Amino acid sequence: MKTQSALNTYIKETGGWVASQLEACTRCGICADACHFYQALGNPEYAPVWKLEPLRRAYEQRFTVAGKLKLALGLEKKLTDSDLEHWSKIVYEACTVCDKCAFVCPMGIELGLLIHEVRTGLAASGVVPGDLAEATEKQKTLGSPLGVTDEMWRERIDWITDEWEEKIPVDKPGAETLVVFTSIELMKFPDNLAAIAKILNKASENWTTSSTGREVVNFGFFEADEELTKLFMYRVFKAAEDLGVKRIVISECGHAYEAFRWTAPNIMKVPKGIEIIHITELIHQLWKNGRIKIKEGAFDDGVITFHDSCKIQRLGGLIKQPREVLKVLAPKNFKEMTPNKEQAMCCGGGGGVISIKEAEANRYAVFEMKMEQMQDIKAEAVCMVCSNCRLQFVDSLAHFNSTIKVHSLAELVSKALV
Amino acid sequence: MDWSEILRFSRGPLFHLSLIIFIAGMTYRLLRIVLLGWERDRTKRQGSKLWGTILNYLRGLIILPFIPWVRRTFRNNALTFIAGGFFHLSLFVVLAFGAAHILVWQSLCGISWKPLPTPIVDWLAAVGIISLLVLLINRLTHPVLKLLTKLPIWINWTVVFLPFITGYIMTHHLWFRYEVIFSLHMISVCLLLIWIPLGRISHFLFYFFSKTIHGAQAGKRAVTP
Amino acid sequence: MKEKTIYEHLRDKGLSRRDFMKLCGTIAGMMGLEFSPPVKALGKLAHPTPAEVVARALTTKPKLPIIWLEFQDCAGCSEAISRSSSPSLAKLVLNDIAIEYHETLMAAGSQAEKAKEECMEKYRGKYVLVVEGSPTVADDGIYCVVAGKSNLDLLKEATAGAAAVIATGNCASFGGIPGANPNPTRACGVADLIKDKPVINIPGCPAIPEVTTGTILYFLIMGELPKTDHLLRPLTFYGHTIHDHCLRRPFYEAGKFAESFDDEGARKGYCLYKLGCKGPTTYNACAALKWEQGLSYPVQSGHPCLGCSEPHFWDGGGFYQGQSAALIPPESKTTAVAAGVGVAIGAALAGVNAAKKGRAKKALTSISAVGPGESGAKPISQSESKKEG
Ligand code: HEM
Ligand code: SF4
Ligand code: SF4
Ligand code: SF4
Ligand code: SF4
Repeated sequence: MKTQSALNTYIKETGGWVASQLEACTRCGICADACHFYQALGNPEYAPVWKLEPLRRAYEQRFTVAGKLKLALGLEKKLTDSDLEHWSKIVYEACTVCDKCAFVCPMGIELGLLIHEVRTGLAASGVVPGDLAEATEKQKTLGSPLGVTDEMWRERIDWITDEWEEKIPVDKPGAETLVVFTSIELMKFPDNLAAIAKILNKASENWTTSSTGREVVNFGFFEADEELTKLFMYRVFKAAEDLGVKRIVISECGHAYEAFRWTAPNIMKVPKGIEIIHITELIHQLWKNGRIKIKEGAFDDGVITFHDSCKIQRLGGLIKQPREVLKVLAPKNFKEMTPNKEQAMCCGGGGGVISIKEAEANRYAVFEMKMEQMQDIKAEAVCMVCSNCRLQFVDSLAHFNSTIKVHSLAELVSKALV
Repeated sequence: MDWSEILRFSRGPLFHLSLIIFIAGMTYRLLRIVLLGWERDRTKRQGSKLWGTILNYLRGLIILPFIPWVRRTFRNNALTFIAGGFFHLSLFVVLAFGAAHILVWQSLCGISWKPLPTPIVDWLAAVGIISLLVLLINRLTHPVLKLLTKLPIWINWTVVFLPFITGYIMTHHLWFRYEVIFSLHMISVCLLLIWIPLGRISHFLFYFFSKTIHGAQAGKRAVTP
Repeated sequence: MKEKTIYEHLRDKGLSRRDFMKLCGTIAGMMGLEFSPPVKALGKLAHPTPAEVVARALTTKPKLPIIWLEFQDCAGCSEAISRSSSPSLAKLVLNDIAIEYHETLMAAGSQAEKAKEECMEKYRGKYVLVVEGSPTVADDGIYCVVAGKSNLDLLKEATAGAAAVIATGNCASFGGIPGANPNPTRACGVADLIKDKPVINIPGCPAIPEVTTGTILYFLIMGELPKTDHLLRPLTFYGHTIHDHCLRRPFYEAGKFAESFDDEGARKGYCLYKLGCKGPTTYNACAALKWEQGLSYPVQSGHPCLGCSEPHFWDGGGFYQGQSAALIPPESKTTAVAAGVGVAIGAALAGVNAAKKGRAKKALTSISAVGPGESGAKPISQSESKKEG
């Protein structure tokens, strides 16, 4: 039964786009070395291409003569429930859907996006790691994967307003910009929320938050449950429409940006005339347009590096913006890790991995490689634009007793405002 | 049956049949996939899909392990990458610029061009054979490839290797009478042609799909593919 | 009365012993005996020189009777022999060493028929039958009839009393030009029909005269046919390809090819592979022996080898088409049909697959609610099952 839903999903999702890429794979295995989970843990099943197996088998066995032949000859087996359980562990706990593999595959197969399709089938059949399912459920019922209710949200916003003495408008009529934060920022990095508020206020941006569209994180998207993905985005779009804003600013969350910016228009109705923009891009714009001024060299003591978040840099294209800003903040001490930019290595916590307890070992193993990259350039601090990454950095650096400091770009900019 | 008969058979009817199977098979596969349907991409682009695609093809020509900022990714398997690259270069040069093969093209589509000097082609053929052996050893030992490699992939390797090794032996007039090894070369080529539509060697066609898709994805997001 | 030996015959014609010994040397060369060590078959002296072997045979053996038959042919092989650059030698073989019945060279007619029958009777079991031209099997041999007898009967009759059969030229060896596609007369090689007598093939178009006469001499002197390859060709002459001994070979190795008959490459003597040379698969003695007493041979004088000593050389896809070219050129019609078949199956399967997709979609929507984008509905029934994971 579970398998049937998975199969139906795969069949439904398999158009020319999926099929042609599945056919293009030469089984060269090169993608394995792109994946930080394989690199860190050496489990061959963590090879990106292997993560596509359920999708590939469904496609070949249902759509192709060769696949049917292989079934008949016993060269291959049908998908079973236990296969799904098996791949659920691989695909949710050892993949951050970072899409690095796609940039390494010599055939250019969009492995990350296809792995998202694999997750779709698993989500449809309900074979999702417990922690992830639980958080998703919370987001569905309470409005936030961290279980933040409407009241908690209001209290928290008020508290931040008081603590940092920064005005945070809520449901402000006539606002042009709707900023949607993550509960991670709200609960774990309130400084970041305050920093963004400070920047926007300083630039006299006509902005607001919404009490209904208050969660930008999308656990439906992590799970790859299309209905929930749409539902969670719908809440934000609805709020934006109701408020009549001109643009929605996605705060520091990569997966949310991917969902809003690149996925929403293809799976649901999106309100017309509302621009989707990431906070990084906004800060960059404000600075370029002279609406905010940044003190040069404000953070120029000690090497500082930039961590590229998969969904914001590799998949979001916001590569030069944060760097331009950082080069002002730390003209002498800004240094790149290797690899970087599109080729950068994921932090290991994205794609929902960080919310799954069983994946902790995987996550730390990957992070060791990230640490190595930072140590290679003797970084004392690292800056990033995704609070999910930041959570992974803070947690893992503590785990490894490292002294490297973690900053968000907004935080740095807010501190350097003149 | 005598070898000159076998040669005539394999250069004649067998090759003809193989070509027909190849063409029919590939059209079938192409169509089956194209007709699965394509969804429109409604996202607002940030960069040019076309430029991304062009860039992606250009980048395909560079052997990645040599790019400093990505070298780290390839520290474990630069050799495979290089062997794969050389193999394809060799295949291309031997098939497109070997004098014997140009005559094949001429007989098939009526156009011909200047061959490269035999010693160069010959050298590259040797490089191709060595690359294939390296790739084979890699496939036998790499844990991921052990997991991925099923019977069809071994067949792939074999049907590609056979034309190479028989062609090389033939050019060097080693061990066999010419018509014998020529026949073997032709038979292995026919095997290859028949196998292509059935297996993953057809990637030469789907390459253009996946490569374009990735290029367009990267292009619209304004990143270097 | 005892038959005169060849030596006696020659002496009577006024040949001195000294000239005779010289002749023996020449003959030994022609037979390729120089290359093969003196044969044990003669058994006597420890290491006689080839010339001595020949001399001993010629002084002890009578003339060798030869019956020369022609079937579907152009008489080119006979022509080659009679016009051979060494006419004295060929004539010598045919006149002085052998006694011959040759249909074309002797005026044909009932008289000739009679002479042949007498010859066959007289030398039963001793004569060598040389066949030029292909026998034809279709319709009981009706397509080649001499003096009212079909070629099949003639062949059977003549082989019955023969000591050995020599098929000269590609036609007699493998069917040759009459046997070219579509071979209406079902021409074939002599060896395809004669199984009870030793047969040797001297293919070529024409056969190289020296090879034919050399083989005759070999039989005379050694009393048996020389060693052959799998196509019954004497190994001495057919052991190597034209390509093996070709003087253009260095150009082949270097990949320097003439592109046309009058280009710079052709003038420089480049390899003729691209002009259709079949040298690499052609076993013949042209390159080693050369025609016209070692003057030249086709490839040397600028023409690609046609492969005339190989079976079906006429069906090799054209003399000027490269050896690697496809033998059956693809026609746009077959290609279109092939593509059409692919399109048909592909489209059919695509239809089936589209139906499958439709069904899958239906099955899925029946368990999940309407998308929120459309109705704003929030609860999603499917989520209950999600907790299982
Ligand atoms: C239409 C089919 C083909 C024909 C008629 C053909 C014919 C030939 C011939 C005649 C040669 C030897 C030329 C010489 O003696 O100098 C040759 C060499 C060779 N062929 Fe093919 N071939 C075909 C397809 C292929 C394919 C598909 C491959 C590889 C997958 C291949 C690989 C080679 C190699 C590696 C050599 C040796 C080149 C060298 O060492 O210089 N051939 N081929
Ligand atoms: S998307 Fe990232 S984490 Fe997932 S398989 Fe690819 S490289 Fe590994
Ligand atoms: S790198 Fe690309 S082609 Fe190679 S195995 Fe992975 S997905 Fe397939
Ligand atoms: S001319 Fe013919 S026989 Fe001579 S080397 Fe070239 S291919 Fe060989
Ligand atoms: S060169 Fe070739 S075609 Fe010409 S006579 Fe010799 S074997 Fe025959």
